[in-house]
Amino acid sequence: MPAPKLSRIAVLAAKDWSLFWSDRRAAFLCFLVPVLLASAFGIIFDRPQSTGTAVKLPLLLVVESESPYVDQLAQAVVACDRVDARIVSRAEALTLVAERSPGVAVVLPKSFETLATWTPGRAGDRPRMELLHNPLCTMEAQWAEGVVTEVVLRCIAKAQLGPLVSDTDTALTLPFQSESTAIHGDTQTEFNPYSHSFCGMTLQYLLFWGMESGLLLLRERNRSLWQRMRSAPVSLTEILFAKALATATIALLLIGFTFLMGNLIFGVTVNGSVFGFVFLAMAISALAAVTGLMVAAVGGTEARARSVCILVILGVSMIGGLWLPSYLLPGWVRELSLAMPTTWAMRGLEGVAWQGRGLIASLPSLAAVAGFTACFLAVAVARLVSNESRRRRGYT
Amino acid sequence: MPLSVRDLVVRYGATTAVDGVSLDVHRGEIVGLLGPNGSGKSSTLAAAAGNLDADSGTVTIDGQSRSQDPCRFAAKVGFVPQDAALYDELSASRNLEFFGQLYGLSGIELDSRVAYALDRARLLERSGDRVGTFSGGMKQRLNMAVALLHDPPLLLLDEPTASLDPASRDALFADLHRLRDDGHAILLTTHHHDEAEYGCDRVVLLNKGKLVASGTIQELTRTPSDGRAVLYGHLGELLPKYVERGLRQRLGPDVELEIIGHRVRLSASGNEQLGRALGLVLAEGMQLDTFRTPPGRLEAVARS
Repeated sequence: MPAPKLSRIAVLAAKDWSLFWSDRRAAFLCFLVPVLLASAFGIIFDRPQSTGTAVKLPLLLVVESESPYVDQLAQAVVACDRVDARIVSRAEALTLVAERSPGVAVVLPKSFETLATWTPGRAGDRPRMELLHNPLCTMEAQWAEGVVTEVVLRCIAKAQLGPLVSDTDTALTLPFQSESTAIHGDTQTEFNPYSHSFCGMTLQYLLFWGMESGLLLLRERNRSLWQRMRSAPVSLTEILFAKALATATIALLLIGFTFLMGNLIFGVTVNGSVFGFVFLAMAISALAAVTGLMVAAVGGTEARARSVCILVILGVSMIGGLWLPSYLLPGWVRELSLAMPTTWAMRGLEGVAWQGRGLIASLPSLAAVAGFTACFLAVAVARLVSNESRRRRGYT
Repeated sequence: MPLSVRDLVVRYGATTAVDGVSLDVHRGEIVGLLGPNGSGKSSTLAAAAGNLDADSGTVTIDGQSRSQDPCRFAAKVGFVPQDAALYDELSASRNLEFFGQLYGLSGIELDSRVAYALDRARLLERSGDRVGTFSGGMKQRLNMAVALLHDPPLLLLDEPTASLDPASRDALFADLHRLRDDGHAILLTTHHHDEAEYGCDRVVLLNKGKLVASGTIQELTRTPSDGRAVLYGHLGELLPKYVERGLRQRLGPDVELEIIGHRVRLSASGNEQLGRALGLVLAEGMQLDTFRTPPGRLEAVARS
């Protein structure tokens, strides 16, 4: 076949655009769904950091002693401004923790009565504080343990120091202060919790869009449409290039629309390099288009391709930190994620979106996404050319 | 000569789908590729359309092969697949525009050809409607209109009547006859003898990938001068001589049975006798892959 002609590529790509817009409602949903997904994730994971009020840990307290001292400890825990605690019975705590409402309970046992007469260096069994927690709330359990330990130690220290100092409250003031600062990257811009969800959900949706494009190509190849196209003066290169072009341009439009909605509704902004964002958007769109070609190349039948794709896309989305920030994932998953294009795409997008990174700082992510795209393209084209050659020899 | 196929061989692994077929299709004629399922019709057509690579042999259109200039070769062919090869989501006119643009048409020329094609396909009033809402007959008309849009000298149709009702089938052949009269060369595949009889000027009979017979309907269905009823057939398997002898005895002196290789000729003094002879031949286990009679005779034989 002669060299690809731009006019024919444009005709083929325009056809795919026509097909995309032919069902207006489907096209509208295609733009709406990533915005809805990102908004939902943003709302779920939003933390009121900007309000300045500390987050209180919901906590249940089971008091198994009727002694005034243990009751005094319990009241001190209830009064602590770092937990939202209430006293319940053990049976009630077991039920509520199992239902994760809330997920943690602390049991102050009868043996805590001995703490009233505790002296430093005393030998013998130490009383045992029991932590009941839902399997999904291990972090909250550690948090509760720390807070309750601090409160109990303060009470003990107060009792011990009482005879020695006139003002125990002043004496028990921590000898140091702590201060937390959020690190935002190159520029000191405020973290927008919706930035993460809009970056992640847009990326995930683009992969699904790439899959749909690949399935369309599979459908065309399995129908007599392909025979007609192949009997026309059009080369396979032109068909594939046009398919990728149409998919990538629609993907680019999807990114633009989703971030525009994110900006208008939740104030999601590009705090870093705008050029970095645009280049990343183009690279990610190309990645989505090549994903489509991969689907068509290795998918086999449409039904088979769809099932495998959903599994792969959800897997790389989860590992790549598109749902939850990657620092929440186990170490081995974080290492594994470096082999995923989604990880680099997410790093790049988040970098320019809320971390305020410049163009130079975005280059590693940009290069990684482009590298993955080139590799996938090489595999997909080699496979599609081989498939076409077999098809021309009569194998289907 | 628009289409010339010489010694075409197409193999699928160990199976030979087309075995040394040669045929020509001239301007102003309709040639039917006739044969049972698996006889190699569609493979021959696909190779002629340039959709299938032959193991050996040549396919040329106006003296030019696909390997010489694929684009020019493709521009000379209008291929009509068996199923409507159309985008259901797009309108009739958008489908025509798209395929016209693929063949390099644009601007006023494209617009006028699309309008002409819609008019010819009797779809002008539905030009803006989605193809998915069309009936089978309308889709088939549009399917053919797409193939004709770039005005190719050669039209290739794969089982064009497979999904049509009798009225749509008649309309399709009326269109094909008009195109033939306009000077197009047309090659179509069918496994219906009657279609080949009344729709085609020449017929090429294929069986198991081999060309069994070819010629005009008149040549192939020549009636003997003595007015006897005659039937031609093709044997699936060669008969042992003793079976053939026994069969001749049972058929009697009034029925002539001629077997040369796989080719069979059966003639009798009238349709009634021929029908009885055919029944006897089939009852004896003779495997006739294809059989044909002069136009209209098949029905007469069947009735008798």
